[in-house]
Amino acid sequence: MSAHAIVIGAGANELVAAHYLARAGRKVTVIEAYTMHDAEGWIPPPIVRDLGLDGAGLKVGRADPWLTIPLPDGGRLALPQDVMQSAEAIRRVSPHDAERWPAFCARMASLARMLQTLYEAPPPDPTRGGLRERARQARLGLRLRGIGRKEIAELFRVLPMSVADWLDDWFETDALKGALGAAGIRHLRHGPRAGGTAFALLHRHVGEPPGVFRPATSNVMDALAKLPGIEIRRGVEISGIEVRAGTVAGVTLASGEHIAAPVVVSGLDPRRTLLDLVDPGWLDPELVRALRNIRSRGVSARVDVTVARAPGFAVLAVAPSLDFLERASDDAKYGRISREPYLEVRAGAPTVDGRYRLNVHVQYAPYALAEGDWDAARRSALGDMVVHSLAAHLSGGDDAVTERSVLTPRDLEGTAGWPEGQPHHAELALDQFLWMRPVPALARYRTPVAGLFLCGPAMHPGGGVGVAGAHATREILRR
Amino acid sequence: MVKKCDAIVIGGGHNGLVCAAYLARAGKRALVLERREVLGGAALSEEVFPGFTFSVFSYVVSLLRPEIIRDLDLPRHGLHILPLESTLTPLPDGGHIAQWNDHDQNRHELARHSLRDAEAYDELGRLLHQMARAVRPLLGMLPPDPASLRVRDLASLARLGGHLRGLAPEHFHALHKLLTMSSADYLDEWFETEALKATKSASGIIGTMLGPRSPGTAYVLLHHYMGELDGVFRAWGFAKGGNGSVSAAIAAAARRFGAEIRTGAPVANVIVKGHRAVGVALESGEEIQAKVVVSGADPRRTFLDLLGPGQLPDDFVAAIRRFRFRGASGKVNLALAELPRFAGLPDAGPHLRGAISISPSVDYLERAYDEAKYGEFSRRPYLDIVIPSLLDPAMAPPGKHVMSIFAQYAPYALNGGWTDARREAFGDAVIDTITEYAPNLKGAILHRQVITPADIERTVGLTEGNIFQGELTLQQMFFFRPVPAWARYATPVPGLYQCGAGTHPGGGVMGASGRLAAQAILGEKA
Amino acid sequence: MLKTTPFHPRTAALCASYAWRRWAGYVVASSYGLSHEHEYHAIRSAAALLDISPLCKYLVRGKDAARLLDRVVPRDVAHAEVGRVLYTPWCDAAGKVLDDGTIARLDDALFRMTSADPGLRWLEDNALGLDVEIEDATDSIAALALQGPASRAILQEVCSKDLGALKYFRTTAAELRGAPVTISRTGYTGDLGFEVWVDAPDALAVWDALIQAGTPYGIAPAGMLALDMARIEAGLMLIDVDYISARKALIPQQTSTPFELGLGWAVNLDKENFVGKRALVEAAKRGPAWRFMGVEIEWESLEELYADVKLAPQVPAAVWRTSVPLYTDGDQVGYATSGGWSPLLKRYIALAHIESSHAAPGTRLEMEVTVEHRRMHATACVVRRPFFDPERKRA
Repeated sequence: MSAHAIVIGAGANELVAAHYLARAGRKVTVIEAYTMHDAEGWIPPPIVRDLGLDGAGLKVGRADPWLTIPLPDGGRLALPQDVMQSAEAIRRVSPHDAERWPAFCARMASLARMLQTLYEAPPPDPTRGGLRERARQARLGLRLRGIGRKEIAELFRVLPMSVADWLDDWFETDALKGALGAAGIRHLRHGPRAGGTAFALLHRHVGEPPGVFRPATSNVMDALAKLPGIEIRRGVEISGIEVRAGTVAGVTLASGEHIAAPVVVSGLDPRRTLLDLVDPGWLDPELVRALRNIRSRGVSARVDVTVARAPGFAVLAVAPSLDFLERASDDAKYGRISREPYLEVRAGAPTVDGRYRLNVHVQYAPYALAEGDWDAARRSALGDMVVHSLAAHLSGGDDAVTERSVLTPRDLEGTAGWPEGQPHHAELALDQFLWMRPVPALARYRTPVAGLFLCGPAMHPGGGVGVAGAHATREILRR
Repeated sequence: MVKKCDAIVIGGGHNGLVCAAYLARAGKRALVLERREVLGGAALSEEVFPGFTFSVFSYVVSLLRPEIIRDLDLPRHGLHILPLESTLTPLPDGGHIAQWNDHDQNRHELARHSLRDAEAYDELGRLLHQMARAVRPLLGMLPPDPASLRVRDLASLARLGGHLRGLAPEHFHALHKLLTMSSADYLDEWFETEALKATKSASGIIGTMLGPRSPGTAYVLLHHYMGELDGVFRAWGFAKGGNGSVSAAIAAAARRFGAEIRTGAPVANVIVKGHRAVGVALESGEEIQAKVVVSGADPRRTFLDLLGPGQLPDDFVAAIRRFRFRGASGKVNLALAELPRFAGLPDAGPHLRGAISISPSVDYLERAYDEAKYGEFSRRPYLDIVIPSLLDPAMAPPGKHVMSIFAQYAPYALNGGWTDARREAFGDAVIDTITEYAPNLKGAILHRQVITPADIERTVGLTEGNIFQGELTLQQMFFFRPVPAWARYATPVPGLYQCGAGTHPGGGVMGASGRLAAQAILGEKA
Repeated sequence: MLKTTPFHPRTAALCASYAWRRWAGYVVASSYGLSHEHEYHAIRSAAALLDISPLCKYLVRGKDAARLLDRVVPRDVAHAEVGRVLYTPWCDAAGKVLDDGTIARLDDALFRMTSADPGLRWLEDNALGLDVEIEDATDSIAALALQGPASRAILQEVCSKDLGALKYFRTTAAELRGAPVTISRTGYTGDLGFEVWVDAPDALAVWDALIQAGTPYGIAPAGMLALDMARIEAGLMLIDVDYISARKALIPQQTSTPFELGLGWAVNLDKENFVGKRALVEAAKRGPAWRFMGVEIEWESLEELYADVKLAPQVPAAVWRTSVPLYTDGDQVGYATSGGWSPLLKRYIALAHIESSHAAPGTRLEMEVTVEHRRMHATACVVRRPFFDPERKRA
């Protein structure tokens, strides 16, 4: 059996890439490889338009209030989407912070817009002086110039900062800083005092409305899977990518089946793709070193719980202060699970029997434990701790939770293909950003093996639904 | 009586003296006003105990710019830099790992711990040498203002862009990594020996309230190699007579060029008339007029104390207020009756002539940082130790020694504040730490002096005791230092300039800020 | 501290000159006698015994040992039969030479690789995904070179194996006075010669046996100065002297492809893949910009320069290792990197990098020579390497 293009993985990036390739006239087979996870965040309008996602029933949801923050006095601070309304909500805890909130939201929006400009195209390559590259950079430069050089300088100043310093410059309320700062450390092993976490906060803000610092949710995975034009083979395990004379020849499945194709696009992480599935003999040793040095330290677990009563929030952040987050990260630094982890709870729609599913992000639960490994006992202890911590925030206390399931970083590596449990495949850090993502030699979605491309979350921009997939296709079709 | 001169330099620290020397060399009548009776600011030698002389606050000469050594002919004015040949890291298990200047000796020593690391050391050394070559011009460059549309800034920015574009791609990428990574992560890519990683990464945290795992700390690794590039000048080492002799040499050069230097002359404020700095008022009431006033004090003191926020635009004041200092280190100076004896090493071996680094693992450094994050000093701090009397016997009476210990973390914002008792407790922690590796140390101590960031602030006037006049983090470097658009030594008040380490490139006993400030004042192209 | 080799108890006792030098972190004799002349002539007329233990040695074993080496070096390792020794350079991904050395196939799945610089990290990093074990045997294996026309006869005295059957660039396991050794017919002198590889604890016994057996044949322990002259006569390059490893080069101009070092014969572009192949395919298409050649300084021209200052011609007493410019019509077209007076050939010879357009044998260039403090130009003729290539080397 043969196909014109094989796409490995069935995440948003892979499906977007598959549909773009199909639209360009390629026959496309998608090999699912891992179970899919919901995609969250920004969906660039061109992708919606090009693929006709609206026609496929795409619905983007954004809770209002978008975040609920428990306060030390037992109350809650709920932040509506409207900036002025959220400022009013903040005024009850701090008039100072309420004063600054609109300016903060505007500044964040302006900084995130600049990142968005960079994210809407494949990464620039400042080391190449070719005519096309120069023209591209000039275009990009002009668009950025429209934003103003002062703002660009401000972006350069803010990116390397710690989210703690950045927020300390604006606000005084611990609860507000903790909840905002949490977005700067999500899926990073660092705490909020580490440099570059201000960048992570901005990165997550790209594509979201001003004043909203949590990603939108959508049914985009369903919509992408429903779109016609591609073949998706589910439940298939891949065992190798074949290379002949430096050119990709196809893939081999665990069943022994070969599928020949002149183009293979992998959404799996670059290390798995190039070091496990391809014979590394095709790679230069320097590239092998660089691949091994990609940082992908998973630090989060996911706990799904069912509760009997309505939780009373859409998204709840348990991150009472920046110091709380910092202390939680201290544990992870030495390979321990945080004794008091940062939790972020997302409530789903009521189930048919009237109960509620809550999805809990638990950080820090490091993939690499200093002592022991992720076994059933640790998994269960983590579940207990989360349920116990949640009790304070749910009506019904310790008995609120009726069911739970725990996915440790190791589970997530196995089921979702996240290396070390890291959903971004390569951590979101300034040294793995733009032309450095995931490593300079691969930043343009191409690999040293002709015909083999990368399109996963490890690729620029490392955020947004399907953006890397769309950029990768552009590179593939340029050949 | 009102005195007049071309330029007043506030503060007789090494940058102020360098600035005055360059101004005087260009024929300007320059007057340095130092608050204390001694010159040198933090680069100071003092006979703290009879017969025992210390570089009280600083400890090594790191990156004193060779052009300054040349231009001011400092060796003729008494500067003699003695090289440090090695860095020894004693280990808790009684072992040690050392880095030596001699290539073969270094290789054998590292190979004892890891053959791979011994090889990687040379390869990393080559890369950082190349990187240092690429970055060094920035140290001697007036930083452009990226937001400015003035021709001068655009041209300067284009030069910078061209310079960076001229790098080979692999070097451009390596530079990107150095600027954005944590020193621990960066070294993880190269080495497997924990103590080697820790000791090298420690250079990235010196003087900064960050741990070695915090991004932004890798860049400082380059500084060591920049020192090596200027190898013939032996810019990395220990100044004979202590760091005060660096200041003394610069002061002598400045005087030789005609600068006047007054000590015991504390400046109360900068006098502004018609939005222009026209002179200074001393605490004595004396007023001195000058065409330009150059402040070697740190940005907060310069703008909020000596000038006053009322003279400045609001956003500038806001930027100064958010400029971060966070002094993180202290010093312990010991007068010793005998040399420390480290387990498994000869009693008075050559290892004592270099630096001794207490940095057995990255986790050790991180734990030290953890305590400081929450407002405590490290009970087991990172220490960088030198014994200057082995290189310069005149520092101590015959047969006796001085030990100079840089100790981190000692946070300025200590819970409950620094008191005499807390200072001594910190001193005990430092001595207990060394004693774990050199058990005879405690018994060898004749005198000790403990200096906290609060002491540094009080004595030398460095805000929050930060030895670099402001944290050297990416967001406070180059054209952001100290305030974006005001990184070219001028200030919003015409006639007022800055020349301290709070400006680009800042840090260490380097003198570059003073030199560049003088060039900016003289309108020279840099 | 510097390391000493397992032979140091013997070499130290013999080193009447007290002239030592560093080699890869070890201390070895520059010459044993007060002059190295006798040691040099022993190489060419009798036999010389040289301590070459500082060479880096790696044992590569396992199912994929040949695959690893084939990945690292441009020569064809997989097809080398057991007992074969290959001299080869190896390159980085840009096709620039990192090092050169030998690979001996001791068994189907066992190789001994030698290199000038430590290369464990490079080997290991190339071994990703391969079933192979790499052991650094630099300290555990001692090595002697026995070189010269009498070397076979001497070695045969103490060795049971028929060495007449051991062909050029072949190796065999043997016993030498009871000590297990491997003997390879290799060397760095361009003469008939052998290298003996022995576990460090047996090193002194092997030294003593060879000295004892060799004494009737005129064996002499020889130091680095004698070797340096011999290897130049043999046209063999030396890392850090005649070329700079791409691992140490600070600027691209300091690096060389194998083609530019005259090692194109060792690059097999038909192999499926090896490190640097892509770059070397391109380099082969372009052709090398530089050639690594011999030059002979013409005596008459040298004599004239000295005659002008009323002196007899002078030649260097030992090999020099500095960069010396080569010109044609005043333009620099190359540089010699090591050279000296060949006592055997009675010629002043040097190894040189020359721009390809001026590198044809027979081309007459000018080489800078310093005559009585003044820099002059002497005529130097481009010649093929080696300068000296006796039949006995291969016979």
